[in-house]
Amino acid sequence: MTNDTNGGSRIPSTEAAPVAIIGFGTAGVNAAIALRQAGYRGAIDVFSDLDTPPYSPILTSYYAGGMRPYDECFPWTEEEMGALSLNVHNGTPATGLDVQAHVVRTSQGDFPYSKCVIATGSSPSTVGFPADCGYEPLALHSMADAERMRAALEDPACRSVLVSGASMVALKMVEACLAQGKQVTLVGMNPHVLDFNALPAAAERFEARMREKGVRFRLGQTISAVSVQDAPGHPDGRLLKVGFSSGDVEDFDQIAVAHGMRGNLAFLTSGELDVDKGLLVDEFMRTSDPDVYAAGDVAQAFELTSGERRIVGIWKNAAVQGACAGRAIACELAGGTPEDSDAFHGSISSNTIAVDGTLFLSAGTIDPGPGGEIEVREGDEMTVVYVYRPTDDGEGRQLVGFNITSDTDVEGGVAYDTGAMLTLRIKEGLEGR
Amino acid sequence: MSPNDNTRNSTDEMIEAAKAAEGVGGIGGSPSDSKLGRAAAYWEFLGTCTQCGHCTKACPSLTAADMTLGDVAKAMLAAEREAGDREDLAYAIAANPRLVQAVRGCFFCTTCKNTCFAHNDVCDLVYNARVDFQDLGLIPRFAWTSVQVDQEWDIFTAYRAIYGIYLGDLTRHVATDDHGAESDCEVAFFPGCSLAAYAPDLTREIFDTVQELGGKTTMIDHCCGSPLKSAGFFERAEALCDRIAEEVDSSGAKTMVCVCPGCANAMRSTLAKHGLDVQVKLLPGYLSEHGFAPKRPLPEAPLCVSKSCQDRDGSYLEETCEALGIDADAPKIFHGCCGAGGAVGAFDPNRQASQADSKLSFADDGSVVVTMCPTCTYTYASQLMAVPRDISNKHYAELMFENQFDWPKVFAQLQGMYEGEYGPWLNQVFA
Repeated sequence: MTNDTNGGSRIPSTEAAPVAIIGFGTAGVNAAIALRQAGYRGAIDVFSDLDTPPYSPILTSYYAGGMRPYDECFPWTEEEMGALSLNVHNGTPATGLDVQAHVVRTSQGDFPYSKCVIATGSSPSTVGFPADCGYEPLALHSMADAERMRAALEDPACRSVLVSGASMVALKMVEACLAQGKQVTLVGMNPHVLDFNALPAAAERFEARMREKGVRFRLGQTISAVSVQDAPGHPDGRLLKVGFSSGDVEDFDQIAVAHGMRGNLAFLTSGELDVDKGLLVDEFMRTSDPDVYAAGDVAQAFELTSGERRIVGIWKNAAVQGACAGRAIACELAGGTPEDSDAFHGSISSNTIAVDGTLFLSAGTIDPGPGGEIEVREGDEMTVVYVYRPTDDGEGRQLVGFNITSDTDVEGGVAYDTGAMLTLRIKEGLEGR
Repeated sequence: MSPNDNTRNSTDEMIEAAKAAEGVGGIGGSPSDSKLGRAAAYWEFLGTCTQCGHCTKACPSLTAADMTLGDVAKAMLAAEREAGDREDLAYAIAANPRLVQAVRGCFFCTTCKNTCFAHNDVCDLVYNARVDFQDLGLIPRFAWTSVQVDQEWDIFTAYRAIYGIYLGDLTRHVATDDHGAESDCEVAFFPGCSLAAYAPDLTREIFDTVQELGGKTTMIDHCCGSPLKSAGFFERAEALCDRIAEEVDSSGAKTMVCVCPGCANAMRSTLAKHGLDVQVKLLPGYLSEHGFAPKRPLPEAPLCVSKSCQDRDGSYLEETCEALGIDADAPKIFHGCCGAGGAVGAFDPNRQASQADSKLSFADDGSVVVTMCPTCTYTYASQLMAVPRDISNKHYAELMFENQFDWPKVFAQLQGMYEGEYGPWLNQVFA
C-alpha cells in the first residue's frame, strides 16, 4: 500500500486511486463483496479501528453469556476475505476525510481514494450514566465489549448486575447475565421495556415472562448516582452503590449500560457532508458528495413506514446498503450510471429478540398516526399487536407495524411464521403505496 | 412407480454421476469463466448471514447436515476455491454429504427464512445451488426425468394420455382439431398439473364456474415450472413461464385464475416480468369477488387448514377461509411443507413421508385437513393411504364444488401405468 500524499494539498487522480471503505463491519464487508462481484478489479483500502476480522454484533451477547465460543463470532473466514483482495488496515481508524482532496486521513498517514464508503457503524452510548463515578460500566457492541462483559460475568465475585436501558441491546445483556447465573435488575426510564419497538400489551407479556425467570424491574426510573464503595466482606472487595430517581439505593456488583447507539462520525469535519441524525444518502447510498457513500448505522436512507430518510440500525439493512454502495461505485468507476434495479428502495425496521426462551418480534412502526388503530390479540402462547393506519384513499386500513411476544422461542414455529407473514404484508402494503 | 418412488442416492452414485456428466460435457451446463456458475449468489448470501444458527434449528434437513445456510454458501465457495477444475469441483461437492443433504434436502418451505433474523432468501440460495448441482452432474437423472414439465411427456401428460383425460377443448387460445386459436378470452384459468391430471372432472367444473362468473375463459394447460426449478433447471423453468406469458397474452385474458398459491406466485412474477396487464387471482378470491356460494355444505367435522408454503403473507389463506364462509381465526391452522416441495422425495423418500406425517399429526382426530395446493392434497392422500389416520384430506376446491378427487383410483392408476401395456414406453421415455 502506498501513502503518497503530502499534507492533503494534492488532489490525486481519482480514477487511479483505490476505493476506500472506512469501517469493516457488515456494511463495509458487503460493499467490498459487491464491488468485486460487480467487476471492480482495482485496489480497495479498508480502514478498521479493530485488530480482528469483522465480527457479528448479533453474536456478542451469546459470547458474553458463555453460549458461543469466541471464534464463532466472526462470520467470514480469512480465506473468504482473502478472496476479495482487500488492503485491510487494521487498527487504523479514519481520523478525517478530505472530500476536496479525496483523501482519508489516519494515524498511519493519508490515503487517496477515488470513491469512498463510510461504514463506520455505531457505538453504544452511556449518556446519563454518572461519568465521574470511578466505574466504567459494561457495554455490549464490539467483541472487546463482549470479552469484558464475559470476564466480568464469569468472575465468581459478580453475583448481581444492574442493566440500565430497556432496548434490545439491554435485554440481550439481561440474557447474558441470566445465562451466567446472575441476579439481574433492569432499570429503564420508560414504563416498559422495548420502549421504541413495543406497545404495552406486547411489552407487558415480555416483562411477565422475564419476572418468572427472576429478572427484577425498575421501570420508570433512572440511575441518579453511582459510588464505588469498599466492601471488605465482599469477594471483590468493593461494591457499587446505586441511587435511583425513585430515591431507592441498592448495591450491585456490576452495571451494564445500553442507552442507545451513536453513529461513529466524529472523524468528519462539520459541514463537509450533509448530516441530520446520520449521513443523508440517496437511493444509491451517495452522500451530498458524489464520491462519498455511506451505509449501515451511519446512513440516513429512505425508510418505508415514515416515507422519510431515517437510520435503521439493523444488520440486514447494513448489508443491503453496503452492497448497494459497492455496486453503484463499481458501475460509476466503469463509466456507467447505476440502474434502478440496483437501488436501495427503502427498508422497514424489523427486529427479533429472544431472551432465555421468550421471543419478541417486531417490524414497522408502533405509531398508528391520526385515524389509525391498534389491535391486540392475546393468545395462550403469544400476544400479537397490529398497528394499522388509514389507507391513502381513506377507504380501508393498512398494516404498518406489529409486535409479537411469544412465551416460547421455537425456531420454525408459529410465532416466527406469523412475524415473517406480517413483515411481508407491511412491506407489500408500503411498497405499493 | 411414481415420481417419488426413488431410492436415496449415495455419495458414490453421485460421484459416478458427476464423472459421467464430465464425460459428456455436463448435463445442461453452459461454459462459464467461473467453475461455479452461481458463485455470485453465494457471495451475496455470505455477506448477509450472521451465522447465528437459527436456520439450522428451524429445519430438520439443516439439522441433519449440521450446517447453517451461510455454511452452504461458504461450502460451495470453498469447494470452488480448492478445486483445480470443474471435475475436481464436482467430486469435492459430491464427497461432502452434509452439503448435499443441505442442498437437496430443502423443501423450499421458507421456515428457515422466517426464523432468520435477517430474513435472508433461502430459496434463492438453494435454487442457485441446485443449478450448480445440475450443471456439475450431481443430480442423478432418475431424480428428474419424469418431471421435465417443459417436455411433451412428463408424469402428468403421460397419465392423462394413458387414461384418456382430454381437456383440449378448454384451451381455447390454442388451435386444436376442435377449434381455432381464440384471442378474445376474458379469463385464463390455470389449474396446475395435479388438478388437471388427477381430478379432470373437478377441473372442468371449476372452469365452467369461472367462465360463468367472469366471461369467456381459456385454460392454460401447463405446469408453473416448480419441478424444473427443484431439479436445478432454473432457466428452463423461466423459459416455460415465458411461454405461458405468451399464451396468456395471445388469449386476450385480463384476469388469470390459479388454483394453487405456488402457481399464482409464479404467474404473478412471470406476467409482471413481461409487463402484461393481467391480474392474477387465487381461485377463492376470484369466487368471493363474484359472489359465488359453495355448491356443498361444509363438513361437520372440524377443519384444520394447511397453510401453503407459498402463501408467504397469509392472504391466500384468508381468501380461502372467506370463500369457504369461515372465520380465518376459527380453524386450526398449521404451516410448513407437506413434504412434496423441492423434489426432496427424489433424494430422500423417507424424509418426504416423515414430513407429511409430522404435518398431519397437527390435525385432531376426526378433523378434515384442508389443503390449498393440489400437490399437498396428493401428498397427504398418499401418506394417509400408507399410514391411515382418523382424519380426512380435502383440497379447498373439493369443499366448494361437486366433483372430488378419487385418490384410491388415482394411486391405482399411477401404479398401473407402469405395469400395463404402456409400461415399457414409460420406462423408455423416463429412463
